[in-house]
Amino acid sequence: MDPPLASLLEDAPFLHSLADALGSPLNVLIPEVVAENAERFGAVYRRHHLSGRVYFAHKANRSSALVRRLAACDPSAVGIDVASLAELRHALGCGFTGDRVMATGPKDPEFLWLAARVGATVNVDSVTELEQLAALVGAHGLGRTRVLVRLSGFESDHGPAGAGTRVLSRRSRFGTPVAEREAMWAALERHADSVELVGLAYHLDTIGLEEKGRALERCVLLMDECRARGFAPRVVDIGGGFGVGYVEDAGEWERWTTALSEAVLGLRPPLTWRGHGYGLRNDNGTVRGAAALYPAHRPLAGPGYLDELLSRRSPVLGRASATLLLEHLHDLYVEPGRALVDQCGLSLARVLEVRPLGDDPGRYLVRVGMNAADVSLEEHGVLVDPVTLPRGGPRHEAADGGPVGVHLVGNLCLEADLITRRLVFLPHLPRVGDLLAFVNTAGYVMDFHAHHAQRQPSARTVAVSREAGGTWRWCPDENYWPLTHPQGRPS
Amino acid sequence: MRYDSITEAIGNTPLVRIDPSVHGLRHIDLYAKLEMLNPFGSVKDRPAWHMARPYLEDAASGDGTVVELSSGNTAKALALLAGMHGLKFKSVTNRMRVPEIKDLLLLLGAEIEELPGQSECLDPTDTDDPLTRFHQALSEPGSAHLHTDQYFNPRNVEAHATGTGPEIIKDLDGRAPDWFVACVGTAGSSTGVARVLREHDGDVRVLGLVADKSDFIPGIRTIDEVHQVGLFDPATYDSLAAVTSQQAIDGMITLIRRCGLLSGPTGGAAYHGAVRHLASVDAELDGAGRRRTAVFIVCDRAESYLSYVRQRRPELLGRPRRGRSPSEVGDEAIRAAKARAVDVDDARRWIAEGEPRPLVVDLRGPHAYAALHIEGSINIVDELFAELVRDGLPFSKRTPVLLACPVGEKSLRYAASLARSGHPDVRSLAGGIVAWRDAGAPLVRE
Repeated sequence: MDPPLASLLEDAPFLHSLADALGSPLNVLIPEVVAENAERFGAVYRRHHLSGRVYFAHKANRSSALVRRLAACDPSAVGIDVASLAELRHALGCGFTGDRVMATGPKDPEFLWLAARVGATVNVDSVTELEQLAALVGAHGLGRTRVLVRLSGFESDHGPAGAGTRVLSRRSRFGTPVAEREAMWAALERHADSVELVGLAYHLDTIGLEEKGRALERCVLLMDECRARGFAPRVVDIGGGFGVGYVEDAGEWERWTTALSEAVLGLRPPLTWRGHGYGLRNDNGTVRGAAALYPAHRPLAGPGYLDELLSRRSPVLGRASATLLLEHLHDLYVEPGRALVDQCGLSLARVLEVRPLGDDPGRYLVRVGMNAADVSLEEHGVLVDPVTLPRGGPRHEAADGGPVGVHLVGNLCLEADLITRRLVFLPHLPRVGDLLAFVNTAGYVMDFHAHHAQRQPSARTVAVSREAGGTWRWCPDENYWPLTHPQGRPS
Repeated sequence: MRYDSITEAIGNTPLVRIDPSVHGLRHIDLYAKLEMLNPFGSVKDRPAWHMARPYLEDAASGDGTVVELSSGNTAKALALLAGMHGLKFKSVTNRMRVPEIKDLLLLLGAEIEELPGQSECLDPTDTDDPLTRFHQALSEPGSAHLHTDQYFNPRNVEAHATGTGPEIIKDLDGRAPDWFVACVGTAGSSTGVARVLREHDGDVRVLGLVADKSDFIPGIRTIDEVHQVGLFDPATYDSLAAVTSQQAIDGMITLIRRCGLLSGPTGGAAYHGAVRHLASVDAELDGAGRRRTAVFIVCDRAESYLSYVRQRRPELLGRPRRGRSPSEVGDEAIRAAKARAVDVDDARRWIAEGEPRPLVVDLRGPHAYAALHIEGSINIVDELFAELVRDGLPFSKRTPVLLACPVGEKSLRYAASLARSGHPDVRSLAGGIVAWRDAGAPLVRE
């Protein structure tokens, strides 16, 4: 945990007062951190002498505070990647000008129209989408719209790469397969009066540096093909997926995953609710399957991952990826979502009930004012232990004995509503009224699945910032603006 | 020895005693079973041949393919065996981590399929598990594939139970060793040999070595990974211990430099693990007046792992220094060379009107140069240029030179280096090709 988040956690009375006033669950964000994270990516650009922008993938978090804070960053360094009409409107309303916006994802005509209207760059998925965009631009007299072409299917493309070696990739529903690029180039030529090709893009859903490096180099080579056809592209957009390290200590993560294998084999007691194996299963004493878990310990994540990707030699031309981009005079775009909101906040849940588990007196059920969808740890395979914030502060903590294994259950009347299927080991048994803080989840995982099932409240979100004297001030997420004292203050 | 086929040379490998002055054990004779002397270079020659033989001998040569999940020695042996029988070989792997092995496989005519990396955004609905798809493809009707399936195929174990194990007993004059030490990869050799030795003498102790979990030793699995191996049975081993890559390299260096055994890191790991384990046993034997024997396996040879060693222990491959490379130019010299930077306008004038005109050297990669460059410039890629100027100047001192790189940083360093080597008029394009482009100066395509 980095300083701002760590010191926020130390102020338990402040967090209790927030949860008392605004209810449980509650998301608390530190907008300043998102700007610091963007700056860390900027430092990687500078180290490699690259120009281009870091685009925040808005889908990572629907907070206004984060978007407004990013809007206040250097316009030449930070942009926003929006994947829906509402996100686009939100980004514009938060202070992003159209030229800093990239429109990606599935797009309906309204979304395309507004993107073209405000001069956003459209990340085009297919020839059909390009045709649709060009038709809109023509019919509504819009300006020539800048487009990036998103490519996919690099693995089936034999191109100039390694004879005899094929790097397989997960299939994606996005992007135009490299093998079908000819039709895309032809469409770009047909519609040259409505759209301007500014570059090529890819997004691979993998943590594999090898695959990404290969795709990056292939884009550089294809940029040359575009130039030869008379286009003047300048940008290679390598998407995101740089990751976050959730567990600092490699040993801790390794011991846990080993223990999970052993539990699946029955060599030790289960570590999960009803012996769930996270995708691993016992097949006659052999572990089969793959663990569906986010690799929680990632020594290489976020800006460090980008740095490594840019430093690696490309497979065909044998130059570092950054050198390739620089030598070809290309700008680099990246779209980190999760990595930009790393350490940006936490989710709070109130402890509502604590009782021993009938069949195993050493273990407890802890029911909290939150449900699985509010933090969706399971959907993302993220294993984060909560930090207990005792009511009344650490002075009264001593009582309830030592470490204890608890199952965290949620506020829905459903057997399946577990905050995590994992047995969570807490240093002390929590008490009713304590808060559990899930660090880092407010940054990425809290918004995707939250719902109003059973009329349980969804989390409100607040933005907090540190005052000069060390105290925290807060405001509702929607009221945050990146001004020193937005609500005015006597000077 | 005269053979009709190289496959007859598989097996019957030597058992060589390690000099006690090297390992320091006073009451234990330690022997190395030199599986690296199999014809294709490793212990995997045996199971590869044993698993594939029935199919290969039947196969009408032509369109069949042998496939295996292997990034190493099994793939190597199978590729050679398949080739001898007119078949193709395809290796499916979770990443070739040792570049020499990959190049070697390509040389042998193998096709390599690298499985995708782990997904960044977890998708619980993902049915695209590459291994599952691999197995589906194999079991499609009419597929002309032989999947040797080394991690589950009992013929892998059998190859060692009928070969490696009995050979050890024979060479120890009909006795089984007291300890048998093996690294666990597919668990084939450890399981097969252990079975035979125990049938011969129930008191044999078996030590299995795995790789430290956060580390990587080619051919050895970690404690989690062994649980995914069908042939792995914990009952085979009296104990399991972990070895790090550093310890494996230490062991390898001892075997190479002191014993004349050109072992790879897996053999090094086995040696290190054996000596570490036996040291305490040896101490207990003090005064007992008995001698014991132990055998470990040297799986393969060192040559394929030079990059592995270079990455982890570069000092072992230290090379003598040559002349100074431009990257060794000090910051002071760089500051002094600032005067050698010319901006785009001055550079354009110099190129147009200079008497004599400067030679423009573009230090970028050839592909980038071909895409766009300053007209009339020549391309010497930076790495090559650095090599050239170590030993002198690649052009006359009477020729003025303008160096250009992407942003003018590297070219300034090189300009400083050339000036130090005595070139009177070498300059660097300030801001590089990027500044040239941004100023709207012309760039041409090849």
